[in-house]
Amino acid sequence: MREYGDLRDGAVGAIERLTDAGQDIIVMVADSTSTSKIGAFMKSYPNRVVNVGIAEQNMVGMAAGLALGGHTVFTANAAPFLVGRANEQVKNDICYSATNVKMLGLNAGVAYGPLASTHHAIDDISVMSGFGNVQIFAPCDAVETGQVIEYAASFDGPVYIRLDNAQFPIVHDAQYQFKAGRPDVLIEGKSVVVIALGSVVGEALDACEALKSEDGIEPTLVNLSSLRPLDHDALAAIIERHDAVVTVEEHSLHGGIGATVAVLLARRRLSNSLTMLGISEGEFAHYGTRKGIRKHYQIDAAGIAQTVRTISAS
Amino acid sequence: MENPYKQTGQALHRRAQEIRKKICVMNAAAKSGHTGGDMSEADILAALYFHVMRYEVKADTTVQWLDQFILSKGHGVGGLYACFAELGWLEDRELLTYLKDDSRLPGHPVRQKLPNWVTVNTGGLGHGLPIAAGLAMAKQRHSAGGGDTTGRVFVLTGDGELEEGSNWEAAMSAAHFELSNLVVIVDRNRLQLADFTHNIMDLEPLDDKFKAFGFEVHDVNGNEADQIWKLIESLDTQNGKPKALIANTIKGRGVSFMENVPAWHHKFPDEDQLKQALRELEDA
Repeated sequence: MREYGDLRDGAVGAIERLTDAGQDIIVMVADSTSTSKIGAFMKSYPNRVVNVGIAEQNMVGMAAGLALGGHTVFTANAAPFLVGRANEQVKNDICYSATNVKMLGLNAGVAYGPLASTHHAIDDISVMSGFGNVQIFAPCDAVETGQVIEYAASFDGPVYIRLDNAQFPIVHDAQYQFKAGRPDVLIEGKSVVVIALGSVVGEALDACEALKSEDGIEPTLVNLSSLRPLDHDALAAIIERHDAVVTVEEHSLHGGIGATVAVLLARRRLSNSLTMLGISEGEFAHYGTRKGIRKHYQIDAAGIAQTVRTISAS
Repeated sequence: MENPYKQTGQALHRRAQEIRKKICVMNAAAKSGHTGGDMSEADILAALYFHVMRYEVKADTTVQWLDQFILSKGHGVGGLYACFAELGWLEDRELLTYLKDDSRLPGHPVRQKLPNWVTVNTGGLGHGLPIAAGLAMAKQRHSAGGGDTTGRVFVLTGDGELEEGSNWEAAMSAAHFELSNLVVIVDRNRLQLADFTHNIMDLEPLDDKFKAFGFEVHDVNGNEADQIWKLIESLDTQNGKPKALIANTIKGRGVSFMENVPAWHHKFPDEDQLKQALRELEDA
């Protein structure tokens, strides 16, 4: 029986632990107190949460100013409004100015499913990757999220962390140690390596289990939680042990992890076949339930399993 | 901590004029720059750096700041570099590298190039006020937590720049969070890139706008350094209200053929114009 957890609980728990331990943290929200589940922290540290109202540009600018004043600042609001509305503030005030701000991109991907494309963030990784100075992470479970937060708080500079509002399976135990840059191998298999991004690691895990029990196929599964920095040698070494690569992401195929792997294959002249699953390039994601959207783009467990089956049969 | 100069009167006015001369030399050498806006802000910079702001310069020219400055109108960086040179932090000959390859002096301020003197990288408009609000909040938190005197944050915006909505998000916040140590100075030269501000997007009544957002508002002649520091020294930076100083200035101030001429937003002096400009600035 799998345990599930909310990435935000992992994040807020870590922020509270760090503050308890004496780190001078301020969390900024843009009316997003419930979105961020920051309530418990607010109760413990009411003066350490600054709510600027529905004003994302100002939230990011003020975050940069507070960081210049010596604080470690977390911003916590919905990813689409962070990367979209406050894009130039993220670029100039945080990334370019290298201020010590950690941006939590909440409810990224199509977490807001039926609320449709105004509320989807299928471009956050792509947009953030276009900026200099910023480290980018997409943890896959609550345990890893807590560790990513701890790492981010210890690093002096801009960080983007892709988060979510759903319950995701806990795939890491207490022994797990997140290491910035390292591709996290969850299952050691053969022939096919599935590389998954954050919110769909659980789907990929289900797919791998189904493939093993139903088809006797045992793919390797990599949780690509550290997107920048990324140890390209380590990722290439994993890929080289397999024939085929499947990337899975709840993100546009433009500028996501599929694209990252494609560039890696080209640069290293690796001849693996590559299948990229994600939101089709040049499209807004379909409207619908998250389940329905994932099914449409084959980034649910069934779609991933079917893709691996087809590759394995060829 | 005090301002290391505390200059007034003619001495302070000469600082502004020397800053203007350096701007003209620098922009002529670069064959570029935002001359008009550099010139309009010179007295404000002179007042801030040579009288108002409290800081301590270490032997290695790093600075410990109690008060801090943010140039929201980042394109006015020529004025800031000239001011740094007048402070002796940059040599005049380095100003001649402005906008050139490998220079520490790009066309907008970059803190990585001049660490410690440049607070934050600006250039996109409407960014300075939100950042300044955050920094002012940090300074209030610092003093509330038993730190020293509350530092003040001065942010210089253009007037055309106030067309950006992010300023008004920040203005709302500054009043809500009672950032009385935040002083926004509007370089009200009434010109923007394309034309006079009232032809592009009328900002008036600007004082009422700031007042409605909860600011304490003052008008000042922004080309009279003495008036600027006197006004700032009269401000109560504990009264719960952020301050807006509408500094009425003349774009291209100090050089007859530049004053109030829209083209000088982005024009640079040629050889003859430079000679005349330096003559006018020396005499006035």
